[in-house]
Amino acid sequence: MRRNVWWSALVFLLVIGVAGTVFAQEVLPGVPRSEVIIIEDPSGRSLNPGRFNLWGGGVSSWSTGLQQLCIGTLWYIDPDEGIEGEPWINLLAAEPPIYNEDYTEMTVKLREGIYWSDGVPFTADDVVFTVETLKARPEMTWGAYMQVNVEEVKKVDDYTVVFKLKKPNGRFHTVFTVRWAACYIMPKHIFEKAEDPVAFDFNPPIGTGPYVLKSYDPNGYWFLWELREDWQRSDLGVAYGIKPGPKYVLYKGIPSPEKKVMDQMAHELDIIHDLPPEGAITLYQNNPYCVTWFDGWPWAHPDPTLPSIIMNHEHFPYNLKEVRWALTLAIDIVQVALQAYNGCATISPIHIPPTGLYPEWYFDKIEPWLKEFTLKIDGEDFKPYDPEIPVKIAEAVKYAFGYKVPEDPKEIKKLVGYGWWKYAPDVASKLLEKVGFKRDKNGKWLLPDGKPWKISILCEAATRSVMTRAAAAIAEQWRKFGIDAQIEAVEASMLWTRMNYGEDPDTVYWAWCIETWGGHPDLFWFLESWHSEYYRPTGQPVVAKNPMRYKSEAMDKVIEELRRTDFFKEQEKMIELGLEYVKICVEDMPIIPIFSYNVFTVCDEYYWTGYPTAKNPYTNPVPNWGNTRFMFIKLQPAAERK
Amino acid sequence: MGSFLKFFIRYLVGRLVVCFLVIFVGVTITFLIPRLTPGSNPAEIAIRRLQMAGAYLPPESVELMKDALLKLYGLEGSMIEQYFRYWRELLRGNLGPSFASFPTPVISLISRSLPWTVGLLALTAVISWMIGTMLGGIASYKGKGLWVRIFEMFSNAVRPIPYYIFAFTLLVIFAYLLRWFPAGGAFQVGIEPSFSWAFVKSVVRHGFLPALSLIIIGMGAWFLNMRNLVSGVLHEDFVLFAHQMKLKEATILRNYVMKAAMPAQLTGLALQLGTVFSGTIITEIVFSYPGLGTLAFTAIMQSDYNLVMGITLCSIVAVALATLLVDLLLPFVDPRIQYTGGVS
Repeated sequence: MRRNVWWSALVFLLVIGVAGTVFAQEVLPGVPRSEVIIIEDPSGRSLNPGRFNLWGGGVSSWSTGLQQLCIGTLWYIDPDEGIEGEPWINLLAAEPPIYNEDYTEMTVKLREGIYWSDGVPFTADDVVFTVETLKARPEMTWGAYMQVNVEEVKKVDDYTVVFKLKKPNGRFHTVFTVRWAACYIMPKHIFEKAEDPVAFDFNPPIGTGPYVLKSYDPNGYWFLWELREDWQRSDLGVAYGIKPGPKYVLYKGIPSPEKKVMDQMAHELDIIHDLPPEGAITLYQNNPYCVTWFDGWPWAHPDPTLPSIIMNHEHFPYNLKEVRWALTLAIDIVQVALQAYNGCATISPIHIPPTGLYPEWYFDKIEPWLKEFTLKIDGEDFKPYDPEIPVKIAEAVKYAFGYKVPEDPKEIKKLVGYGWWKYAPDVASKLLEKVGFKRDKNGKWLLPDGKPWKISILCEAATRSVMTRAAAAIAEQWRKFGIDAQIEAVEASMLWTRMNYGEDPDTVYWAWCIETWGGHPDLFWFLESWHSEYYRPTGQPVVAKNPMRYKSEAMDKVIEELRRTDFFKEQEKMIELGLEYVKICVEDMPIIPIFSYNVFTVCDEYYWTGYPTAKNPYTNPVPNWGNTRFMFIKLQPAAERK
Repeated sequence: MGSFLKFFIRYLVGRLVVCFLVIFVGVTITFLIPRLTPGSNPAEIAIRRLQMAGAYLPPESVELMKDALLKLYGLEGSMIEQYFRYWRELLRGNLGPSFASFPTPVISLISRSLPWTVGLLALTAVISWMIGTMLGGIASYKGKGLWVRIFEMFSNAVRPIPYYIFAFTLLVIFAYLLRWFPAGGAFQVGIEPSFSWAFVKSVVRHGFLPALSLIIIGMGAWFLNMRNLVSGVLHEDFVLFAHQMKLKEATILRNYVMKAAMPAQLTGLALQLGTVFSGTIITEIVFSYPGLGTLAFTAIMQSDYNLVMGITLCSIVAVALATLLVDLLLPFVDPRIQYTGGVS
């Protein structure tokens, strides 16, 4: 409530002061505001703004326009529906990769007619050079991957490249496929002149994208890009033939959320990357030009990332399935959604984010099974799945915040997800008692050895306020249930370090290890590292996405089968295997899935129109993603500002 | 004078030894802390940073990359070997590379931010000190005139306001409502840094609000501090004697009252100038202003311990030198101070 008052007061002040006084100003000397789109760079200040060598590392921010507007790669998978209704996008490649029968060779046909921004044609030489340079240097960003996977890369002709792989790998192309980022293609004619490709700053950057760097703040707060005069010869120009709307794109780091709100109220910031819910909702309510992913509750864009409670299975009692399930049933998800996200969370009962095309591929198919799923407790059956939770969230939101919510449960489901697990502390108690837990005279839970059960939820501090708030809400639920639960809010790097080492016995982690394509059903991308061959014991950092140190023979089999599927021809089989994965996870509950990471990206239509929304989900509006590149050909100046 | 010089040289040597010892211990501690912190392996941190940024690194390539990065960062060898290597490089003026911004040297990152921090903070510290000290002295000496009461009330009113709120209020009023000043940055987008009038004008315009916020907050504190000091001096025998001698009021104020209160204020100023090198993170965040504060904050967030060490080193050296400077200046400013063997 106090937060709302603060935001409202801020906006009230601004409405009085700014209303009617906004006029087309110059953002930069000689350039009218109506030719520039201003986008927030969520990294804030880039410490090393003069470095653009993403391959060599040391680039402070990936959200300055470099990967969005300038450099490009072979393929993109949109987390939403894709610009032409097809999430798979061939950008520098003319078509999807062609594998041989045993997946030891991948052939890539490149688009013809694309030129680097300095006028040199883009050809197979660039791709071969990129791979060979990286392969020789495992310290470079994708270098180790190339060294592990590529035996040889050959140019067949100017627009055909063949990769010979060291071992069968039907997912090799994903290293060149942007979800958030991917291995981008280097301009050979620039990098071959560099003495050391790691030390080389690549300034100014030369790309295949439609924009070139015009200038940047040596202090790292802004980067200004200008549309190429020959934009038709850029990757977007050749692929779609449509001129991007903005002549200039300014990426600007704005460290304070209040300033973001004020800048957008003054129409000086067109796209805000993310805001606390109150900030976004206040903007929606006060700025008539405001555009959010959903036009109303729950506003935010759900990213294909699944924040979860992650428990290290090597520490007692989290090695016990009963304990993990008990903790799940001791969470009232309605309260968590309300407290963390003002009810704007998209919940998930299963270990897949409920976003992009996944509801259709996985959630619709698994829901009947979830409804029948049963836990055996004291010889009795208990069905933990509650499909009514979205409606309960909608009702609570209406009551608590007065937001307008749809009446139709099917509509509500589209907005905040399918069901979740019942809030059943009585069942949770039985599960704990089954494995030897007891309550003391005050009703607090004791471990089987009689010691008090303490849980510290390690979560991100200030940088992502919704995450801190969710952790606090879950801790509150568990305290109510009788566990001595607290949160420990730390900075992101500390959270991920401690989670990766997993050495704190009383700590569970509120973070994520499940991320999906959104626009493709393959789960191998994150699931590969759940295979026991990559298992690392506590004290050693996990190698990718298994910080819970989960081991399961059944899961290994699913992963091995998934590895053998064809990414392009066997989507149905992938979904089938994905559903198997979900069933194993629901049985074992290796981590507790909560909701997708919803991003309150707020756009302003005062100067620009055509932003992606849930009604027109042609791409992800969250501007630090590499595939926001496709947004620029849809953006057009607002009619009254032309 | 001869005995003073003799004393001063002995005193100087003692102070220099203490100063170098402070720097040595400070550097050693800043070297050790990050290395003894669990999970602070820069190669693992670099990989994690990539993963957090969204780049997917398949399991097999992670460990290969880790080994390659450790080699690249020059972090091979025992901690003792690294320590001596660090000192050797430090004495050559090399603070090593930043891990998060590899291979950019730490010294380059610091030197990019330092001028903005020093320019803003040193200037505002001196201005607010001068205004606050002068007005505080005069106000206390001259008694409670109207303007003194107004200034005192203003100082008392501003001092308890959290700086973030105060700076933010200035921003809302002058940048968003009145639109007199830009809302952030060090200079206008699109202008190339140069010694041109357009650039200088832009820097002054962009620096005005952050400077104003720091001066107002700082001035109030110096004002109140000086007023308290002067009110203590007013009843000293030498001031009463000066009045008896019928000296001019201006002379008494300048040569007796202000001079006697000055050492404490001067010490405060020198120490504040020393801490300039830590930056002011809040000012930088509110006004999107570049400086060492956000540099240090980001370095900590990214576990870039070479950079953290570099900034800390600047701060340690600056505070140690500022303390040394104060120690050396005091005998000249305050004749009451008697030095015996380097102990005041």
